[in-house]
Amino acid sequence: MTNITTNSARPVLAPASAAGRGFINFVRSFVAASAPIMVILIGWELLAHFGDMPASLFPPLEAIFRALMRMVADGNLLADVSGTFRRLFESVFIGAAAGTIFGTMMGYFRWCERAFIVPMNFLLAIPGTALFPLSMIWFGLTEMAIVSILIYEVALTVTVTTWTGVKTIDVALIRAAHIFGADGFSIVWRVLIPGALPSIITGYRIAFSRAWRILIVAEMLVSVTSGLGYRLYYAREFFQYDLVYAGLFIVGLSGLLIERVIIRPLELITVNRWGTVRELK
Amino acid sequence: MTGELRIDHLSKVYQSDKGPLASHNVFDDVTFGVKAGEFVSVIGPSGCGKSTLLNIIAGLDRASQGAVFIDERAVSGPGMDRSMVFQEFALFPWLNVRDNIIFGLKSLGLSAAERGARAAKYIKLVGLDRFSDYYPNRLSGGMRQRVGIARALAVEPAVLLMDEPFGSLDALTRRSMQAALSDIYLRTRKTVLFITHDIDEAIYLSDRVLLLSGEPSRLSLELRIDLPRPRDHRSGAFQGHVETLQQAIIQSRSASSINTEANL
Repeated sequence: MTNITTNSARPVLAPASAAGRGFINFVRSFVAASAPIMVILIGWELLAHFGDMPASLFPPLEAIFRALMRMVADGNLLADVSGTFRRLFESVFIGAAAGTIFGTMMGYFRWCERAFIVPMNFLLAIPGTALFPLSMIWFGLTEMAIVSILIYEVALTVTVTTWTGVKTIDVALIRAAHIFGADGFSIVWRVLIPGALPSIITGYRIAFSRAWRILIVAEMLVSVTSGLGYRLYYAREFFQYDLVYAGLFIVGLSGLLIERVIIRPLELITVNRWGTVRELK
Repeated sequence: MTGELRIDHLSKVYQSDKGPLASHNVFDDVTFGVKAGEFVSVIGPSGCGKSTLLNIIAGLDRASQGAVFIDERAVSGPGMDRSMVFQEFALFPWLNVRDNIIFGLKSLGLSAAERGARAAKYIKLVGLDRFSDYYPNRLSGGMRQRVGIARALAVEPAVLLMDEPFGSLDALTRRSMQAALSDIYLRTRKTVLFITHDIDEAIYLSDRVLLLSGEPSRLSLELRIDLPRPRDHRSGAFQGHVETLQQAIIQSRSASSINTEANL
């Protein structure tokens, strides 16, 4: 609203010059952000060409880029990225749904909390990755061996945050809900879930990044036929070191994409209404 | 729905796990009525059980003995014939002002249009027309409690219960909220049961003031306030009532301290 008033108060020419300043600011921040990256890339390139390092360990950028192009050309890149993302989203979706339901139950029903608090703490002490031998025994070297671990890890993470979120809802809100006609299941739906939403969403964020880390490792252990982790491992097996670097680049880029496209917006949802999340800019 | 409240020989004992000696008798044999359209305050020192009393009437807590009747129907749990304004506001932070008020309307079986109109009416009544779309975290304490009052009135209950609604506001806001509530009361003529520990506030707002004190607490004084509204804090009659209540509180305190000494 303040923007509208200041703009309308300015002379006619002002918007154009404001836009010009906006562009200059954009260029300035772009340079500021990309300068360190450029320095690193140039350093890398100098090291690769003149550093007397084995080319296999320090492939020059153009080799890495060629490997990347190879991946694009033979369709592996698309298959790998889509395979990895499919596994990630499938398991985060299922795991988050299960964790939200279970965590809400633990927060709401005293008996549920009492029954599961010890087993939960025990399971929390086991890193998800430690269960891979077990999942491979159960499911063999299949998709299911990977996805089951991811679902487990996501569900556990989301259960804990949801549970804490529901437990820490102001008692006054629950009393108000009773007074204003909410009971039984509608308390869950109308008060517990929205009241715990900031914690639940924090849980989704943590779960996403944990799942991402585990997934890349899982794809190396369980040889499925596509996936970014699988590609990295495969490249090493076949001494394609440029491909290892290209693969890492894609992993980093994908992680960044998930952060920007999914996790940030999730965070932003809660800012407006709950005023709990800070440091977003 | 006329809105008559009757409290019949109500007692509350908090049972302790550590045996009968550790259990604590909060209040004992409390009996009073609030006529339809009457504004009654219950005052008393902290710990006298006045909030517990209100929670039992609201159906959020259970009495050990006795019963609560609204228009001669016994209360057995929360119901839409009673609504409540909380000291800590208890607004839903994920809902804006309008939706906070609509929350209570959803169990009344109104259409969406009726709910919207009803919410708008009560938002206007408490003077928050311009803030319908605001979330509670952007409102000041006084404004939040206006939302709390609008939410409670919007379900059009037989009896409005108010649990120290201005207890967490600063002194200036408190004064202006008292004036606003007095004005709202004159316009709606709801049956109100108001809990406070502020003598001045009780006299400013109420038709009758009840003093709950002792150990266990009992009703130790009933004071009728027959001053025309809006009332003037500085008038002689007003100050006279203040004096009466202060004396009664001092007396009840010394009585209970003598009791404690006798027990020792």
